[in-house]
Amino acid sequence: MNSSIGVGGMPAASWVSTTSLSASGKRIQREMVELNSDPPPDCSAGPKGDNLYSWVSTIIGPSGTPYEGGIFFLDIIFPSDYPFKPPKVIFKTRIYHCNVDSAGNVWLDILKDSWSPALTITKVLLAIRSMFTNPHTYSPIALDIAHMYLADRAKHDELAAEWTLRFAK
Amino acid sequence: MASEEESEASPQDQKQQNPVAENGDGLFSPRFKSVAAMAGWDEEAILVAALVVEDTPDRLCKNKKRTGLQFKTPPSNSRRKRRAQRRSPVSIPIVVLDLDEEQNAKGESEQTKVNVKNVENEEKRTEEEKKTAGDELKIEENSGVSCSNSVLPCIDKLREELSCAICLEICYEPSTTTCGHSFCKKCLRSAADKCGKRCPKCRQLISNGRSCTINTVLWNTIQLLFPQEVEGRKAGGALNNPEENEHRSPARGNQYNVRTRSSRPSLASSSSQTSSTRRRGNPSQDEDAEHRILGRGINNNVESRSVRPASVLHRDGTMRRRGRPSQDEVSATALRLERENLARLLGRDGSVRRWRITSNEDDDEDEDAVLALRLQREEFMDAFRENPDQSNRTSLSSARSNLRAMASRAINIRTRRHPI
Repeated sequence: MNSSIGVGGMPAASWVSTTSLSASGKRIQREMVELNSDPPPDCSAGPKGDNLYSWVSTIIGPSGTPYEGGIFFLDIIFPSDYPFKPPKVIFKTRIYHCNVDSAGNVWLDILKDSWSPALTITKVLLAIRSMFTNPHTYSPIALDIAHMYLADRAKHDELAAEWTLRFAK
Repeated sequence: MASEEESEASPQDQKQQNPVAENGDGLFSPRFKSVAAMAGWDEEAILVAALVVEDTPDRLCKNKKRTGLQFKTPPSNSRRKRRAQRRSPVSIPIVVLDLDEEQNAKGESEQTKVNVKNVENEEKRTEEEKKTAGDELKIEENSGVSCSNSVLPCIDKLREELSCAICLEICYEPSTTTCGHSFCKKCLRSAADKCGKRCPKCRQLISNGRSCTINTVLWNTIQLLFPQEVEGRKAGGALNNPEENEHRSPARGNQYNVRTRSSRPSLASSSSQTSSTRRRGNPSQDEDAEHRILGRGINNNVESRSVRPASVLHRDGTMRRRGRPSQDEVSATALRLERENLARLLGRDGSVRRWRITSNEDDDEDEDAVLALRLQREEFMDAFRENPDQSNRTSLSSARSNLRAMASRAINIRTRRHPI
């Protein structure tokens, strides 16, 4: 509900495709309904426009982290054989995080090898949100940030808060 | 809720129940009454029941009141009730009370007045129930409300539990993994093909994604609980597959098709089912056809099961029909025999027999045989009956004449001995 206004700015009616859908389309539509009826905390997601396979999402930086108060926009792109292949999640808002590369790609195991068709976008968003509080330093994509996090947590947090203030507010 | 109802009900009730007031209010507390009303028992019915049980002279008052209230009920209401009662008197819950239709209708109108707030809903519901069941009383109405309230969250939970984690819909032909998780058979198979042989839920190794079988208990349960979803899924499958579109029109047409095909014996369909399950080695091309066959097989079984009692009934009917004519025929022949005997006695037997033969000419051989037997029997009976008749008559008349002769002789002797 909030995703329709806050994120895409698209009318809700454009979400629902009238043509008959493939299995992946059906599943995405169902996820959309579920997400609207019971959205995860601090998260929202929905299709950008008429294309059901291209979503936009926001995650609000959880309190108690350097990302607190920031609004992070993400693009979610579903493959045609979703849910058997994982969706692609890209940060559109710049973020200082060891699991997000400079292009914004999220490097989470569940979005790569550990993907399961039983996972939903809700779970993915929750995983990303938990990534804010607990960076996966054992499998980082941005090595320097991971090093910083492990070596000098205070400096890391300071930098992250600065980035959040600059890009996400 | 109860107190609310009570306060609402009380003024209306007093207006309605004036004639009952003097004997009725002593028996039941208003609280009990309101509870009873909520349960669907109109107070009057309970009262009457109590009176019947106690068997006091108050019954007279009850009758008086009933006639007095007769005019308050709309006639259409009572007619509806009467029709409903006639249709199935057994299922009416307060049959014990031996109520007639005026009372029922009166109770209904009273209740609708009691629930002033819900009059429109109640009316609608009653209309619906009249249409569907035709014989439901307000007990069902009231309990139905509470029932639906208690069932709905349960259904939602069930829907959650019984939906496939892959397609997020109700499991269609669910298949259970060795680790105990169930998915649509199709979903599980494609998951095994595309994502490796691991359980989508717990990532445990699945022995072989191809050899997944349908969890029949779960599947039957799903079919019972969510028939609409299953039908929709079947129709959706038909829509997605161009081959199947030739045979089926979407949604309702599909159901119809299945129904018409169900006239086939269920044995054949079950055998096709087993063959299709055995043929599982073939890749996904066969899958849809298989699904359809399986679905149809199950449907067939269901249909045939539902049809079977009807056929039994039919057979019963024919048997009864076959049985009844034989009895009728016996009685008819007996009647005819009697009539013929009478006619023969009157000296017209030849003509009657000729008429009967001509009338039966166009009948088939069975009838002829029956006729021949009947004629034989007639002759035999005639022969048997005529002889004793005649002998009886002769003996009787001779006896009578003998007696008469004896009497006259005695009189003669007496008159001779003692002349008057």
